[in-house]
Amino acid sequence: MTDRLDRLQFERTAIAVAATIATHLAHLPPWLAAALAAAIALRVFARRRGSATISSWTRVLLTVLLLVVIVTRYGNVFGRGPGSALACGLLGLKLLETERTRDARVAIGFSSFVLMSSLLFTQSLLFCTLVGGVLVLILAALSALQPAPLRAHRPLRADLRLAGILLAASLPLGAAAFVLLPRLQAPLWGSRDDGLGRSGLSETMAPGQFSQLMQDDSPAFRVEFAASRPPNASLYFRTIVLTDFDGTTWSRRLGGPRGGAAAPVATGRSYDYTITLEATDRPWMPALDLPLFAPEGTRLDDDQVIVAGRSVTQPREYHLRSDVDAHAAPSLDRRERLRMLRLPTGYGKQARALAQRWREQAKDDRDVVKAALAMFRGSFTYTLSPPLLARDSVDDFLFGSQQGFCEHYASAFVFLMRAAGIPARVVTGYQGGWWSGGYLLVRQSDAHAWAEVWREGTGWQRVDPTAAVSPARVELGAPDANGAQAWFGAEWLREMRNRFDVASRLWTLSIVRFDALSQRNLLSSLGITDAAQGDLLLALSGVLGLSMLLAAAWSMRETSVRVGDALDRAWTRFRSRLARTGIDERAAEGPLDLRARVHAAVPALAPAIDPLVDEYVALRYGAAEPTPTRVAALDRRLRAVRLSRPR
Amino acid sequence: MNETATPPLPADLRDALARGVRQVNTVVLGKPHEVRLAFVCLLAGGHLLIEDLPGVGKTTLAHALAATLGLGFQRVQFTSDLLPSDIIGVGIYEREAGVFKFHPGPLFTQLLLADEINRAMPKTQSALLEAMAEGQVTVDGTTHRLAPPFFVVATQNPLDLAGTWPLPDSQLDRFMLRMSLGYPDRDAERAMLGASDRRDVIAALTPCLGPEQILALRQACAGVLASPALIEYVQALLAASRDHPEIRIGLSPRAGLALLAAARAHALLSGRPHCVPEDVQAVFPFVAGHRLGLGANARIDRTRLVAQLLEATPVR
Repeated sequence: MTDRLDRLQFERTAIAVAATIATHLAHLPPWLAAALAAAIALRVFARRRGSATISSWTRVLLTVLLLVVIVTRYGNVFGRGPGSALACGLLGLKLLETERTRDARVAIGFSSFVLMSSLLFTQSLLFCTLVGGVLVLILAALSALQPAPLRAHRPLRADLRLAGILLAASLPLGAAAFVLLPRLQAPLWGSRDDGLGRSGLSETMAPGQFSQLMQDDSPAFRVEFAASRPPNASLYFRTIVLTDFDGTTWSRRLGGPRGGAAAPVATGRSYDYTITLEATDRPWMPALDLPLFAPEGTRLDDDQVIVAGRSVTQPREYHLRSDVDAHAAPSLDRRERLRMLRLPTGYGKQARALAQRWREQAKDDRDVVKAALAMFRGSFTYTLSPPLLARDSVDDFLFGSQQGFCEHYASAFVFLMRAAGIPARVVTGYQGGWWSGGYLLVRQSDAHAWAEVWREGTGWQRVDPTAAVSPARVELGAPDANGAQAWFGAEWLREMRNRFDVASRLWTLSIVRFDALSQRNLLSSLGITDAAQGDLLLALSGVLGLSMLLAAAWSMRETSVRVGDALDRAWTRFRSRLARTGIDERAAEGPLDLRARVHAAVPALAPAIDPLVDEYVALRYGAAEPTPTRVAALDRRLRAVRLSRPR
Repeated sequence: MNETATPPLPADLRDALARGVRQVNTVVLGKPHEVRLAFVCLLAGGHLLIEDLPGVGKTTLAHALAATLGLGFQRVQFTSDLLPSDIIGVGIYEREAGVFKFHPGPLFTQLLLADEINRAMPKTQSALLEAMAEGQVTVDGTTHRLAPPFFVVATQNPLDLAGTWPLPDSQLDRFMLRMSLGYPDRDAERAMLGASDRRDVIAALTPCLGPEQILALRQACAGVLASPALIEYVQALLAASRDHPEIRIGLSPRAGLALLAAARAHALLSGRPHCVPEDVQAVFPFVAGHRLGLGANARIDRTRLVAQLLEATPVR
């Protein structure tokens, strides 16, 4: 068993395997991750101690166990989640039996596959960079597996360097394959089959629910305005309208949305813009308040919410026009009006009483709204960490804690309005964002909830009760108003992340979302139009062959060409002439040894050669620099020596 | 600049040297190459390590050198209980003077034969190696210089390793050359068996050289020209040793200096005012052999490795 791995080789393989499994940490069941980490650590430790290998029975048992737990956890072994968990588990188990070079090569090859599968989950710039780093580790482990005669005991750094060079050398070919490989209509990856909840707005809202979302700095969408930018105070991105309240939770209209919205009354400034929405797994598509039409493949509901035909599982781009001053639905039929006034029974007794009191004192609806806002402005505080509310959340909030954020205010405000006989509803969406170069970046932490009240003749009108409590929330945006929650909310870090988002957006736009259409555009900009898939494959194999030719030529290039001086050239010529007479050229031989060989082989040459060798030695080794005239003279004499060919 | 080599040695010095080499060869029969290497080591100012079986003439060589060179000679048989003070010397309290007086040990000589150096414990070994490197010893805070020339011939028995502390690689580096003598050939052995006792022969030797002449020879050695082309060749050899896949630790710059110094001495002994690649090649196996750190699973012995290095490095 000569090819048993030494300690260094084994541990580099183990590091590569562990790093590969680590790329799956985000979605691997914690117990599996912990078990694999323990197994790898134990194996490394045991091997250092020189312990025996693990018996094949144990390994079979572990494999069966792995299968069983994965099937019980996921129900099957197919699909992205269970598949990757199984692959990670098998990779960890492979290390248990890795003892020889061949095993390690298999483990490393499998690592590359498992590493690639981690890209099925995330394709962000940061993650891809991480995957590149892990790939370097894997290649470094592979380089440590080279057979012993070729491998000096190099430090890890040298192996890493080699791996980096290999990776860099593969980039041109990778780029060619990226551009030329025939594309599917939809991006190859990004299919979400596990339905695990992604952050984002949901169809229901219960006060306190947003606080997770408010700390999620991941981008929700990006907006590029065609011409002018709307003022910051108008940056309300309407996403979902919630009408039904059961005492704790607001939810969207039961019985499904209704299509065919009445065109809103456009009154003033309208803006054209493009939204690039991150995947949400939900059909809601944010739009600047109020959208005037629905983009292709979506519909505009009668609550002015844009709903996609199916869930947004891949980043999606759409064009829209919105009017920030428009009001929808100047008239409301009776059924609709009743729905917007409905309140759950048995909740908010105090709130109803308060609303009644306002109703009696007020001249019109506008005074009621003003009274409510005045109350919020008075003794309420805005905080992202409010105390928990009792069962009767509205009363408890209004007359108890008086602390909360947008959800609390929107919910309580709409309740009060309805109690006062004014049709009202809750709208959730995003507010604000960060201007970065030419576009507005809106994060999940910009999620917001506000209210709409309906007035006869005007239609639905936005009222943001949160703005009454914390005007900064609306003017500065959520992050500033919420204050630094933790170190990751630090100003400089946020700034850096905003900068990083520019690169991240480029990545998403040009790499992740590179599909058949973008490919056709790119190729036509290079002058290639209407390329069939076969042609593309042909071009790709051409590039492949060419790069292999180049690599072969590069590795075969002459490295030992030494440009000597005139003396070297003269002497080399002479030695070549000698070689033709049977005294072969030996590069590692000094002139005196050469002379001895000539003496032994052709004694007759001795008198002719001896003075020449002496002169060469004197010029080459007897002086720091050979004298040019003497070199020229020696050259002439060397050429003049008559050498006879061997018979 | 057209720098040329210093003229060859003055005639008397050259003759004395040749006589000395000849004389040692009359005692150590059939080993001209090894005797030459011993002289190379002496002239280059290094120290010599002879690694061989008992009874092949290591001690005889050292004795013959000492007698021929007219140097003060001390022999120390290294044993496992030998202490550093046994070779360096010790400060002894003198009651009359009321001070410690330093009594120099056998180290204070000009040619020291350290017999079976690997029998002594590492502490003692390193005391000796220290003195070899510095040319001085420090006892009780006082530094005592060793009178030049100071030349150590150490012997080591490679086979009988029970109860020995083999010199570690780092300390082997202190020896400029390492060689072995090997069995004499048939003729030499017959001559030796037929002749009188070696000890009598050595006792009858007369010095051919003295300390001053050795110092003059060493100076001449340093004046031997190593042209840029030759230095390039030495560098190429060093680089080859560092790139070779079977070698874990290549030759150090110190090894490079030793190689060049030995090559100069070899050129001087050959009567040349400048080094040629053949000088480097003649001494390379003995300079490099013990300094190469082989990989843990190297499947090649040092002799072949050194030959490979020489074979693979083109001469310029």
